[in-house]
Amino acid sequence: MSARVKHTAFGTSHPAVPAVYLLVTLALTMGAFQPVLIFLSLAGAFSCAVCLRGFGAACASFRWQLPLVLIIAVLNPLFSASGSTELFRLGARAVYLESLCYGCCMGMLFIASVLWLQVAAELLPFDKVMALLGNAAPVLALMVAQCMRLIPRFARQGRTIMDVHAVAMEAARAGAGERDEGSASVALVRRTLPDALRDGLRTSSVLMGWSMENSLETADAMRARGWGEVPCRTTYARYHFTGADAAAIVALFASTSLMALIAIAATVQFSFYPTMTRLVLWWGYVPYALWMALPCMLHAYEVVSFR
Amino acid sequence: MIEPNEASLSPAARDGASQRPASGKQAAALAFRNVTFTYPGQERPVLDGVDWEVEQGSFTLLVGSTGSGKSTLLSLAKPEIAPAGERTGEVLVQGIPVEDLGAERSARAVGFVFQNPENQIVCESVWHEMAFGLENLATPRAEMRRLVAETSYFFGMEDWFRADTAELSGGRKQLLALASTLVMQPRLLLLDEPTAQLDPVAEKNFLHALFRVNRELGCTVVVATHAPRAMLDYATCAYRLEEGRIARVENLSDLERRWEPGLGHRGRGESPRPTSEEQPPPSPAPEQTPVGRLIPPAAASRAVEFSRAWFRYGRDDDWVLRNLDLAVGAGSVHALVGGNGCGKSTLLALMAGLHKLQRGSLRRASRSCALLPQDPRALFVAETADDELAEWGAAAGYGEAEASAMLERVGLAGCGPMHPYDLSGGQQQLLALAKLLLVKPRVLLLDEPTKGLDMAARCAVCELLDGVAAEGATVVVATHDLELVEHLADEVSMIFDGEVASTEPTERFFQGNVYYRP
Repeated sequence: MSARVKHTAFGTSHPAVPAVYLLVTLALTMGAFQPVLIFLSLAGAFSCAVCLRGFGAACASFRWQLPLVLIIAVLNPLFSASGSTELFRLGARAVYLESLCYGCCMGMLFIASVLWLQVAAELLPFDKVMALLGNAAPVLALMVAQCMRLIPRFARQGRTIMDVHAVAMEAARAGAGERDEGSASVALVRRTLPDALRDGLRTSSVLMGWSMENSLETADAMRARGWGEVPCRTTYARYHFTGADAAAIVALFASTSLMALIAIAATVQFSFYPTMTRLVLWWGYVPYALWMALPCMLHAYEVVSFR
Repeated sequence: MIEPNEASLSPAARDGASQRPASGKQAAALAFRNVTFTYPGQERPVLDGVDWEVEQGSFTLLVGSTGSGKSTLLSLAKPEIAPAGERTGEVLVQGIPVEDLGAERSARAVGFVFQNPENQIVCESVWHEMAFGLENLATPRAEMRRLVAETSYFFGMEDWFRADTAELSGGRKQLLALASTLVMQPRLLLLDEPTAQLDPVAEKNFLHALFRVNRELGCTVVVATHAPRAMLDYATCAYRLEEGRIARVENLSDLERRWEPGLGHRGRGESPRPTSEEQPPPSPAPEQTPVGRLIPPAAASRAVEFSRAWFRYGRDDDWVLRNLDLAVGAGSVHALVGGNGCGKSTLLALMAGLHKLQRGSLRRASRSCALLPQDPRALFVAETADDELAEWGAAAGYGEAEASAMLERVGLAGCGPMHPYDLSGGQQQLLALAKLLLVKPRVLLLDEPTKGLDMAARCAVCELLDGVAAEGATVVVATHDLELVEHLADEVSMIFDGEVASTEPTERFFQGNVYYRP
């Protein structure tokens, strides 16, 4: 029985290609503070999330994101009382339309960034990140990988230590309760803060000893397989960097410069305060929208080409 | 399946073969010449004038009890991991002294697999682990790909080649440790208790893989073990290490020896246990087994009782227990058996009160219980065994005298001032048990108490538990060790698919089983 395989955009290219795309996209999203560009980025991120995780799952995260946007949108005018179109007054403070819009844009930007990061996690899973790191800094990559392995293991061992201790303490208390019969046992049951602190220290000391002991064997296992014997390690490349990847990266960088120009042009001519600049139709939005929709388009192409 | 041939052997291996002595006789894969080894700060040598030759292509067992120096002996063949100490004499690998071999060639020529699968995996994914050794040796990319592919096919790893190492079962982890060593194409493979941490099924799988490595690839295999029984079908010869000296075991079937007779169920006849009248005679004919023993007159006195229990760990996880019913009689020894991940440990944790059932009920006669986890080191906090036993003295109300009496009872009388980590695996297990017994639990819950222990330690643990049960405590033990079950348990429950498949008195359980027997 095999699990369903999920094919994503950039699935067949070298991890460097989605990495470049995602880094540029995140930079554009966070850097270009202009309502239309933010909206385009949000739309792109959302459509991509729908492609990758399904409509339901993509919408599910709105449950906490939308309230957050509302909070940001409502709070912003309370803290920054600038603008010229007064909507209403809250006590002594005026609430301005510009300020409210600014807050909304801020919230959208936040959601777009979060969505892009979620998309990044799908397009660039951990092993691909490691492959990218592994080529550049093998020792760093190995360290990160070992930490990723050790953290859940520590948590599990810590849990065991605390469990065993707690069970034995309960038995000890039950025993003491049987002996003393009554009020004394109640006092024993109550745990004080120093007790909790001592238990915590105890757990970490057991954990330390235990993992140090384990790490000795790990070190031996590494040395037995020649770790550190040869000054220059090679890496097992699971992903080949092909000509197509190089071409894709060149194309991405070329478009990046165009996007940067568009973003600069759009943000420079736009301002929220004192009055919002009127938004107009502009050709520059089209390439920007195309860039943001790229993973979604690739996904659609993947689906259509297989039918 | 790939057919290994001479051409596919590593350059190092061919070097080794070309270094044969001029006499024409093939050099031994591994040879020790009058080797004596003493650990720093110790008077007595661990190895005392060892003369030993391992034939090319053999499957050699190195047996001996824990602490006899098996690991030391093996690690001396690999200078990178050899312990600090004073060595005299010569160690030769393929006829070359190990000192002259150099670390890089040693890494290629001699593979080493350790005991704990958890500890020897370095990388996050299976494919990376496979490549790790080759990466270290700066193997060119194309060759690395070929070797990894070839070895993965040999071990049938295609399905889990991309898996995360953290998600693998213990058996697969150990198989990966073997594969990631063999990918470097050593001509000599040394294994130190490779199956001690595995369950019986995983052990057989691993040994079968090892057997194929030996016979199909012609790789010389040396396994140090204290439990040689499962390996006898594969082994070509065996040596016993005792008192620092090595001797050939002439007859392999001598190692067939099982549980030492006379142990277990010892002294229970005259024990004042409440259920002793229900005990079957020592070796009852099947028809004489009292049918009513399952529901003794004292049916009311159940130490632990699950009824219609449903349990899972997380909201999105699958059920671990499905509608499970289980009753553990007070004062009995109840064994839980079943494959990995069948829920044995979960049941123990539930009995200890660490989790709550989602549905159904769990009744515990007493809240006084103690849980011994698989790794006794989870209990060790102090610098010496004495301090270890004193730790819960204030909470449980016992004094120094009781602690030292307990240390004597578990047979560690002389070990009081030692650091718990300096004790052998069996002694650690006994110390952990002693520590738990001092809080006088009514119910003692044990998770794999004999895992990785040698025969003597297993017997010691079994005897201790027998005594605990004789004093009236209830013992629940989850284990793969069917010999322990046979000798210790009153009742056995087989857990399967989240349910209790059967609960029967031990004799009847083993009479009825075709596959599941010691």
